Amino acid sequence: MGVGALYVHVPFCRSKCAYCDFSSWATRAGDPLMGAYAASAARMVSQAGSMGLLRGCRTGYLGGGTPTYLGADVLGGLVAAMAPHCPSELTVEANPDSLTDDVLDALLGAGATRVSVGVQSTNAAELAALGRVHGPAQALDALSRGVAAGLDVSCDLMCATPLQTDESWERSLADVLSCGIGHVSVYPLQIEDDTALGRRYADGDPAFNAEDVQAARMEAAERALGAAGLARYEVASYARPGKACAHNRAYWTGVPYLGIGTGASGMLCAGDYAILRTAAPRLPKAPDGTWRVRLTVTSGRRAFAEAAGMGDLSYDLEFLTEQQAAAEDLMLGMRLAKGVGEGLLAHARRALGAQAVDAAVAEARREGLAQERPDGGLAPTRRGWLLGNELYGIMWDLAPGTVLEASA
Amino acid sequence: MSPRILPARRCGHKFTFCPTHSWVMMGRMNKTDLSLIRNFSIVAHIDHGKSTISDRILELTHTVDERDLSSQMLDSMDIEQERGITIKSNAVRVMYAADDGNTYQFNLIDTPGHVDFTYEVSRSLAACEGAVLVVDATQGVEAQTVSNANLAMNANLDIVPCINKIDLPSAHPDEVKEEIEEDLAIPADDAVCVSGKTGEGIHDLLEAIVYLVSPPKGDANAPLKALILDSYFDEYRGVVATVRVFDGVMRKGDRLKMMALGDTFLCDGVGCKRPLETSLDELGVGEVGYVVTGLKDPALVKTGDTITYEDRPCAEPCPGYHEAKPMVFTGLFPIDNKQYENLRDALEKLKVNDPSLTWTPETSVALGFGFRVGFLGLLHMEVVKERLEREFGLDLIATSPSVNYHVYKTDGSMIEITSPQDLPDVTRIERIEEPYLKAKVIVPPDFMGAVMQLVIDHRGETRDMVYLSEKSVEMHFDIPLAELILDFFDQLKSRTKGYASLDYEMGEYRASDLVKLDILLAGEVVDALSFIVHRDKAYDMARALCDKLKEIIPRQQFEVPIQGAIGNKIISRSTVKAHRKDVLAKCYGGDISRKRKLLEKQKEGKKRMKSIGSVEVPQEAFLAVLKVDDE
Repeated sequence: MGVGALYVHVPFCRSKCAYCDFSSWATRAGDPLMGAYAASAARMVSQAGSMGLLRGCRTGYLGGGTPTYLGADVLGGLVAAMAPHCPSELTVEANPDSLTDDVLDALLGAGATRVSVGVQSTNAAELAALGRVHGPAQALDALSRGVAAGLDVSCDLMCATPLQTDESWERSLADVLSCGIGHVSVYPLQIEDDTALGRRYADGDPAFNAEDVQAARMEAAERALGAAGLARYEVASYARPGKACAHNRAYWTGVPYLGIGTGASGMLCAGDYAILRTAAPRLPKAPDGTWRVRLTVTSGRRAFAEAAGMGDLSYDLEFLTEQQAAAEDLMLGMRLAKGVGEGLLAHARRALGAQAVDAAVAEARREGLAQERPDGGLAPTRRGWLLGNELYGIMWDLAPGTVLEASA
Repeated sequence: MSPRILPARRCGHKFTFCPTHSWVMMGRMNKTDLSLIRNFSIVAHIDHGKSTISDRILELTHTVDERDLSSQMLDSMDIEQERGITIKSNAVRVMYAADDGNTYQFNLIDTPGHVDFTYEVSRSLAACEGAVLVVDATQGVEAQTVSNANLAMNANLDIVPCINKIDLPSAHPDEVKEEIEEDLAIPADDAVCVSGKTGEGIHDLLEAIVYLVSPPKGDANAPLKALILDSYFDEYRGVVATVRVFDGVMRKGDRLKMMALGDTFLCDGVGCKRPLETSLDELGVGEVGYVVTGLKDPALVKTGDTITYEDRPCAEPCPGYHEAKPMVFTGLFPIDNKQYENLRDALEKLKVNDPSLTWTPETSVALGFGFRVGFLGLLHMEVVKERLEREFGLDLIATSPSVNYHVYKTDGSMIEITSPQDLPDVTRIERIEEPYLKAKVIVPPDFMGAVMQLVIDHRGETRDMVYLSEKSVEMHFDIPLAELILDFFDQLKSRTKGYASLDYEMGEYRASDLVKLDILLAGEVVDALSFIVHRDKAYDMARALCDKLKEIIPRQQFEVPIQGAIGNKIISRSTVKAHRKDVLAKCYGGDISRKRKLLEKQKEGKKRMKSIGSVEVPQEAFLAVLKVDDE
């Protein structure tokens, strides 16, 4: 019983980046709303702990938005509230401009083990085009100071962005590697509606973001990072041995997690959902046959800050049956380099029928998207990395019926 | 001495034909003197106010109450109102109490507005003696003013010039009058100035119609001679035809006969639309109204046919009848083959009100079972396809349009084909003949060169041209129907800035050097993409089509070569590159629902495509041939 991972979301930033459609708002420095919000999040972490939901929790992730924008004191308080529940790993997302020495000290003091720094690029013009508020030197300095402080340091990089060239991309990769970090995440820029970039390129996909460019840059990243000893363990994630993000891996391996904060997502087994309902009576009873519940907090940041506890929040809910959950596990597992193991496949065969699962596996192999592992599991091929949606689609197609949804 | 009909405003009822007083009027209306009838249509450039003026006329004559006046009363079908085009003809009767003390019967005949319906337009105009030509007081004479005025003058109609929108500050009616005289050679001194918006001048317009439009001629005692303008099917009453009576009288109970098709029927009632159907004792000479035929098969009632007495037929039918034959044939296939029967049922239901629709079953290797459907033209095809999809919930693929070819085989026999798939092997073909049209374009002399070039580009031959006035030339030419159906009309309109009017009739069949152009996807011929084209155009067409298909067909997991071929010879090629990257890498704080929904959305998108072998092909690819000239 209990979740294995804890996610807390901080929806505040100094300014909104041109590509960003996450749950975050540009907020004035020192706005008391941030302190109130962090305090509310810390209260809910304690509430979940006292309800027994976090008994088996191993990892934590404080994401955003920009958690480091909270400032050393507020941030330290929130991390300290999470730390007791995250014995193996506690990551905090950081932006270079707000990862100051006092923030670093606060993180170390409160029990964070890892920082994930949003660098995106080490080219000044590219950073400006993305609407980032930091410069290249500041970014590299933040990485180096994180490493020097003894934290595990990860860095986000974005490819197929405005002004980026093959050369500048190689440069960004080499620059961040020179800081001695153990983990890199690589994302092709996704131009979303309702973002500054989405509005600018509403008429069609710009050449810098073309599919071929994205593919080439993702492959260039795999080569450069691999050569430096960072192996790809997930579609977007590369790590030195032992430095893979345990929290990230929980998402892809069916480990339940609790999400706290505006826009935060969680996944609970039916039993934990029933426990959560004792604190949040407005949540509907799970329909018969529910195996897994996915919930996303829909309360705004002010409502969240004022909430006395998880019972005051509103949620979007999805109720998955055992069969749907089994298909989802296969879909998610195929994002990992090691794919899905024999045990997971065996469970899927039981839940979904051996014939259907074997047919899906055969299709994935026939299309060259996946291959058998020496130990009998199934892992993505090179082609399966780039055409992931095809592969995941084959697996999710195994799910019978439609997922029941509700809002509360 | 004509009887005075009591206008509705005096008895306070909604219709002139008020329930209380109807006996008075019905008795008298039957005897309406020819001199008290005016049959006319309203023609105008788009947005010059044809519909608002029609509405005002209905309102001012108390045919409908203001509160019931939904704008554009005459266009009734949803698609007609949405697209702003008229597909069916419509005739509304209004009673007008004129200043001379007489009450006149006005029959306002609305005509279809597209070249696909040229024949229907000509029949509707044949039912009129006059036309109100509406010109916008701020815009003046424009392209369609010219082309519509030409159509009306060709039909020998009396023209009532009418200058609309005089309420606008930028109106300059005097200059517009000069334009009408100079550009159209229509006397415009007495042009009526109106505002459809405020209603100002509508009374004057009605008076002008009385004085400028000739009353109909005809002999009330002669055998019945009535022209069918249009028809529709009513589940309970059978086919109801809109007619114009040229001679004689039509009454309920008469034994009647279709002169061209020969079928006889018992007249089950007559009446007129005001705009609701109102039954009458009789339809007299010169009048326009409807007749309930009781016939259960819409195919027996054809626009342009003449209705007469069975036992005492008129000597000559109304001139100009020919069967509205389908000109364009396309394959219609349900994307989901399970919808085949539903498609058949839907076509049968549509045919009831659209007898020009024809179809035969067709089988395609690529698309499965469907129908080869005949249409009057491409707009007709679009409207029908849209109605099938919207009203019957079908997802359809339409294939490239074709005409009816005559294929003479080496064994001496001749077959007619409307689908490229039916073309015999090239070694068994002696020659192929295609239908030509005799076309007539009226255009200002400035655009003569442009039209001649367009005709040449479309394999046509200019026969002769006649100056109708300094401002207009009538050009006659022969052109293959296959060229005309694709984009000729749109190009004619754009190259003449809309000034050209087009009229055509079927000509003869002529031998042409035609070949079948095949399209191969991933090395396999896709029969549904084949079409017949002139050899001289085959190379350009093949190249353009391969390029267009490359744009339309989305990237697949593998590279898809697209080839154009005549027989075994590949003459063009393009390639849809393989999908290189299709994965949502970013993890939004563990938001898995978002990723899953993306996958579901992608799957939905694929459902709307057709799998041809292993290639997913979107619907619009099958009509790519219509889009190659878009650039």
